[in-house]
Amino acid sequence: MENELSKEVIMEGLLYLVGEDGIKKGQLAEVLSISPEDTEVYLNNIQKRYEGDGFALELVNYGGLYKFVTKKAVYDYASRLFATAKASSLSQSALETLAIIAYKQPITRSEIEELRGVSSDMMIRKLQARNLIRDVGRSEAPGRPILYEVTEEFMDSFKLESLADLPEVNEYQEESEELFEE
Amino acid sequence: MSFNAVINEFDGPLDLMLHLIAEKKMDIFDLDMDLLCDQYLKYLEAMEAMQLEIESEYLVELATLIEYKSKKLLPKDETKLEDGYEEDPKEALVRRLLEYQKYKDAAVQLEDYHHERMLELSKPLSVFEENDDEDIRYNGNPNDLLKAMNRILRRLQLSRPIDTTLKKKEISIDDRILVIKARLIDFDNTFSFVDLIDDCHTLHEYIVTFLAVLDLAKNHILYFSVDDNDNIWLQKG
Repeated sequence: MENELSKEVIMEGLLYLVGEDGIKKGQLAEVLSISPEDTEVYLNNIQKRYEGDGFALELVNYGGLYKFVTKKAVYDYASRLFATAKASSLSQSALETLAIIAYKQPITRSEIEELRGVSSDMMIRKLQARNLIRDVGRSEAPGRPILYEVTEEFMDSFKLESLADLPEVNEYQEESEELFEE
Repeated sequence: MSFNAVINEFDGPLDLMLHLIAEKKMDIFDLDMDLLCDQYLKYLEAMEAMQLEIESEYLVELATLIEYKSKKLLPKDETKLEDGYEEDPKEALVRRLLEYQKYKDAAVQLEDYHHERMLELSKPLSVFEENDDEDIRYNGNPNDLLKAMNRILRRLQLSRPIDTTLKKKEISIDDRILVIKARLIDFDNTFSFVDLIDDCHTLHEYIVTFLAVLDLAKNHILYFSVDDNDNIWLQKG
């Protein structure tokens, strides 16, 4: 063996290779034959190291997949370098539908429609085509409607490590019970 | 009355109602259903006047609002309460509006996250070359295939009938694929290329069949292997 690189440095190399696909903690542990605890430590070390100003990349964890991405400051220059088409943004109704699915998953189409007050068939198909949601089987309700949930792609698109990282929403609660008195 | 926004800007009737509530500074917890109903109706009328198509969802909610208003005009039927609990439509609407507002707020946050994420770039997975065709099953290499085809051509040479005619009949690969697909049903799971060409009589047909097999293999409808005796074996995908 000519290399005497530490497992941590090799892990860094693997993270570079997997690129945008990212890699799960478990996979890294298996490939490097190290314990889950060590994997955790190494990942943290790499993450910390790259936080410094001397690095253009940062190690992120979106939906349990670790990957290197460029820091925001790189973007302006990258867009000058590459004449890439702007990544398609999401419409308000798409965001709203995604929010409902993410907070309430698994959820059926009719439940989504009840919450949005509009028919959502097309929207669901669009989101599915963009791989932001997927169907996860069927509900026991009459007609056995399809249940939907968000994908890893969704987690990646919104910088979420897990669903617990979803923005906190204000529960608009009533101070009194007025409503029930009439 | 002026309308600050056109209906297309709303994501549905609930969105419109929230806009009206905010615009008229109504208290959502003590919702003035009459005012909301009037404003809502005015809005739809204005849309109609502008000859904009009003989606049916807006009309469904309008019907709910009007139903509530009309019910209020009727004397209360006290006995109805005993029939069991029925949610007050106003209560139900407020609950829906609040719930909807919650997801609208979340969507704003998510949009920020999404925008930030767009600024982070990454490169594609670095692929190892040998993984490229891991899902194509075959034994042997193109050279084996070539040798096997030569063998078949030799056989053709031997079996060529003496009274050959010079009639040229062109068949396309696509046509041949269709014929092969239809014939596949009659074949066992594994069969030889020779079986497949028993309906061919010319070199042209042999070659078209061979090309058709390559095409079918590419589309995973057939798999091929070549044995030590240069026989091409085909397997249904």
